[in-house]
Amino acid sequence: MKRLRNVVMLLLAFALLAAACSSSDDGGEATDTTATTAAPTTTAATETTTPPDTGGDTTTTAGEVDLTGRSVTVFGPESSDEEAGAIQDALNVLAADTGLRIIYTGARDFSDQINAQAAGGNPPDIAIFPQPGKLADFARQEFILPLPDDVTATVNDQWPEAFVAFGNVDGAQYGVPNKADIKSLVWYDKPSFDAAGYTVPTTLDELWALTAQIRDDGGTPWCIGIESGPATGWTFTDWVEDIMLRVEGPDFYDQWVSNEIKFSDDRVKAIWNTILDEWNIPGNVFAAGGSIAATPFGDNGQPLVDGDCVLHRQASFYSAFLPEGTVTGPEGIDVFFFPGDTADNKPVLGGGTLAASFKDAPEVWVVMDFFATAEYAEIRQAAQTERKDGSLSGFLSANTQQDLSVYQPIEQSFITLLTEASVLRFDGSDLMPAAVGAGSFWTEGTSAVNGDKSVDDATAAIDASWP
Amino acid sequence: MDRVIATVIGIVVAVGVSAIVFVGANKLFDLAPRRWSIFSTLIGGASSLAIFGLLWGNRLIDQPVTVTAIATVVGALTGYALSRTSDQNAHLAIGAVAGVLLGVLAGASIKPQWRPGIDAIALVLSVVLFLAVGVGIRSLRNTNSNMLRPVLLWGSIGWIIGAFLYPDLGTGTVAWTVIASVFAGGLLGGWVGTFPLPDQMMKRDIAVGSRKFIFLIPALAFISMTLVIPLIRTIWLSLLTGLPKELTWTGLSNYVDIVTDPTIIDFSDWTDVFTSRLFIGGIVVLIIGLVVARISGKRTGERLGLNGGSLAAISAGFILVAFAVFASVRGTISNNLWWIFAVTIFSTGAGLAIAVMSDRSKGENVAKSFIFMPMAISFVGAGIIWRFMFVARPPTKDQTGVLNAIWVKIGVWSNSTTATTVIVIILSLIILGLIYIAFRGRQAGNISVAAGSVVIALPLVWIIYKFLGPGLGGYEVFEGEVFAKPILFLTESPFNNFWMMVVLIWIQTGFAMVILSAAIKGVPADLLEAASIDGATESQKFWRITVPQIGPTIGVVVTTLIVTVLKVFDIPKVMTNGNFDTQVLANEMWQRAFTELDFGLGSALAAIIFFAVVPVMWRNIRQMQDQRAST
Repeated sequence: MKRLRNVVMLLLAFALLAAACSSSDDGGEATDTTATTAAPTTTAATETTTPPDTGGDTTTTAGEVDLTGRSVTVFGPESSDEEAGAIQDALNVLAADTGLRIIYTGARDFSDQINAQAAGGNPPDIAIFPQPGKLADFARQEFILPLPDDVTATVNDQWPEAFVAFGNVDGAQYGVPNKADIKSLVWYDKPSFDAAGYTVPTTLDELWALTAQIRDDGGTPWCIGIESGPATGWTFTDWVEDIMLRVEGPDFYDQWVSNEIKFSDDRVKAIWNTILDEWNIPGNVFAAGGSIAATPFGDNGQPLVDGDCVLHRQASFYSAFLPEGTVTGPEGIDVFFFPGDTADNKPVLGGGTLAASFKDAPEVWVVMDFFATAEYAEIRQAAQTERKDGSLSGFLSANTQQDLSVYQPIEQSFITLLTEASVLRFDGSDLMPAAVGAGSFWTEGTSAVNGDKSVDDATAAIDASWP
Repeated sequence: MDRVIATVIGIVVAVGVSAIVFVGANKLFDLAPRRWSIFSTLIGGASSLAIFGLLWGNRLIDQPVTVTAIATVVGALTGYALSRTSDQNAHLAIGAVAGVLLGVLAGASIKPQWRPGIDAIALVLSVVLFLAVGVGIRSLRNTNSNMLRPVLLWGSIGWIIGAFLYPDLGTGTVAWTVIASVFAGGLLGGWVGTFPLPDQMMKRDIAVGSRKFIFLIPALAFISMTLVIPLIRTIWLSLLTGLPKELTWTGLSNYVDIVTDPTIIDFSDWTDVFTSRLFIGGIVVLIIGLVVARISGKRTGERLGLNGGSLAAISAGFILVAFAVFASVRGTISNNLWWIFAVTIFSTGAGLAIAVMSDRSKGENVAKSFIFMPMAISFVGAGIIWRFMFVARPPTKDQTGVLNAIWVKIGVWSNSTTATTVIVIILSLIILGLIYIAFRGRQAGNISVAAGSVVIALPLVWIIYKFLGPGLGGYEVFEGEVFAKPILFLTESPFNNFWMMVVLIWIQTGFAMVILSAAIKGVPADLLEAASIDGATESQKFWRITVPQIGPTIGVVVTTLIVTVLKVFDIPKVMTNGNFDTQVLANEMWQRAFTELDFGLGSALAAIIFFAVVPVMWRNIRQMQDQRAST
């Protein structure tokens, strides 16, 4: 009898352990577990309801089917408590309305994990892609499904054309814009900036002149760090893209993104050299990690607040990395537009995330539709601001029908820039094939920044890696 | 909570079913000698259930429940019918008819997307090929036996491969699918029917002989599912190229790509080897070691006298030269070899040194526990911990990384007259003390104490020289002011590689120490005692008795370490992710396969790592077997 009891105890302990592993929902491994448990339902449902090929033609709305009790898994790159929590908060509102169970999991190494999950036949129901290039890869390999007409209609209705186009692959709409970022921003501490007698530059030349002026005054102009774990180097690629958009114009940019213009083109190399020359002038850059390549991009908030540097070029989501309690707006940390080559030229480099579906089921399309709506943007913004204790949330949406009053003034100015931009381009590295945009452009750029490779060698290596 | 309950129920059911299957299998084979017809019926039913269960489990058939149930009944009836007659022809007929029936059942229920097309040439070729192989094997083994059985078995294998596995799936008709599976079923059924009705002796053999399989099959099935099949699939994938859904055959070109990729191995700076300080220093130390070895060899009458002193110098020189080579010849392979070389040598060396020195000393267990502790930390955790140790901060800030804090502080001291004076005085006193000890040691005739003191004093003299002369530590004087100049441990190539190896050495030293310490304790005390009586010194006892005795264990430690290090992934992944010239094969594999979705190239890299590990593994296992045999 005693032996039997031991066996039962052992089994119970094992079961608890297994359950504990599968029910936690933060961090990378938990994600895997969720995906695994979701997998059998995914395949089974696809087989019993409709053949997978007819994804584009289905038009199902929430009213027709009772969705109570069905579950939807969403997987995305945003994993911090604030971001992931706010997404889950917004999804909980939808879940309460429809009776669905919707679970969001976020992982920092989303790009690698989604590859493994999709190729392993084990994807989530919905993935939120930070890179349209990856979304296009997945669409062409038929991993993800085109949107049904009603969801496409919501997207077209509520989002600016430029953002809708990021989710369009070969004429079919796959992506639902979920979040928007504006990357052409320079963060600075306005009170001390004004006190030092500096003025906000309106052209690139003025920006470089300001840099030199700050340096001559004994200050350190820039805070720069490009370390970001597996994605180290993306900050550098943003600089290249932003300056290319200004110096060479949007047409050149598009050709470069599609590899009609090579990286080893003299004009592209000139941009690399412009950036690296500025970065390498002694005293120009404060790198909190000792060198630019070793400084995590998120570690630049504190020095900016402390006055170790004056300027920091980074996207709108950077507000999430400012130290707690930082005053933002005209009385504290403010932003100015990363200037164009002339005062009138204001091209915007944007970014953002797009949701796409791996599964053709009514409950999935309900969630996809929700992502496109102003309601989602408003609930998420409110939740994320609250989770940040009232400071800038780091979230932005370019949804045209949202109520802007949920945003703070500085955030509203971002949205104005985004929705009114004459030229808006998505982050180029996110549009390129993964081998370059999430591979060699990052690593070779990092090598060039670190001085391990010359610009000539690094750009040649990127060209060689283009698939 | 419902999740916990579901998991508990799942586990209980899984364990219960496994237990029933296991006990049932044993009971079933108990039946063979006594109740042959029941045994035969059950085996027939179970075989059909297994085959159709496989089809069902892989979602190949429609209406799986009904079809599998019918198939099980047909199989059971066949088993019963076979047990009731001993006529050979009747057996053959029963088997064939049952096979045809099951074939019809399977063919008709296979889902449309799995129906095979017709490829007549492949079918004929495959059948002929397998028939030839089967008949050939049989006639070689036994020239005058019945050819019917190999013809049926190998014919059906050839047929299945030619009809189902080679052609495109999803293009065929129901009729052809049924015909194809009827032929396969008929042939296989006929083959089953050719088994004669066993006599009592054979029945007992079946009951006894099957036991080892009942015990082995679960383990074998598990190993093939988790290891063998993935391995074969990886090697297969490494011969393909393209995106995951559209892989196409490309032969060995992935391997060619890897070998010709300049980032894999880069000889462009190899001439730097001869001018590097490491190389020159290494050669000098190597020569000193050889000279010392020659001198001490003369005394003992050997060509080279390998004792503590000469061996230490020779290996130090060798390590320096190797480091010089690794630092000049760059690339992923070079990094991997450097990892193997450095981690294996330093971990084994340090582990052996600690094991020897702590042996039978006071506080041995405490000391060993502390050194073994890092083994409890995961590689990822250790990587993150050491990232904090290696952190470098800008010159104007306090250094938060331990190593840089020390290094910069030394630099600050070296620039302050007071601090320099204090340090130089303290160090001089220590040196004086050491000289005194050396003097006393010489008087007492204990040469090793004397020499050891002088050796320890030498670096201290060097530090004093540095402090008084060029200065020591991380600092920089800029316009009269002293600034910190931290070491960028993780970004400055090529020695950032070595700083990451330190992490693994830190972990693995404990492992080497524990194994070697156990081996040292196993050296027979009477041998050492006999040597003492014969007048051997401590150093002679170590080099001539202990080392040869623990030789096989050192081999095991070294090969185990090599296998671990060849696969190193976590530490470079979290510390640099292969940036700054620190790429290793395993991380390269991850990036190719999962970041860039090039499964072909990724699998080729995985296969290369595998093939590199296999010979070392094999040697490792052989050594462990030898060791077990000798003790």
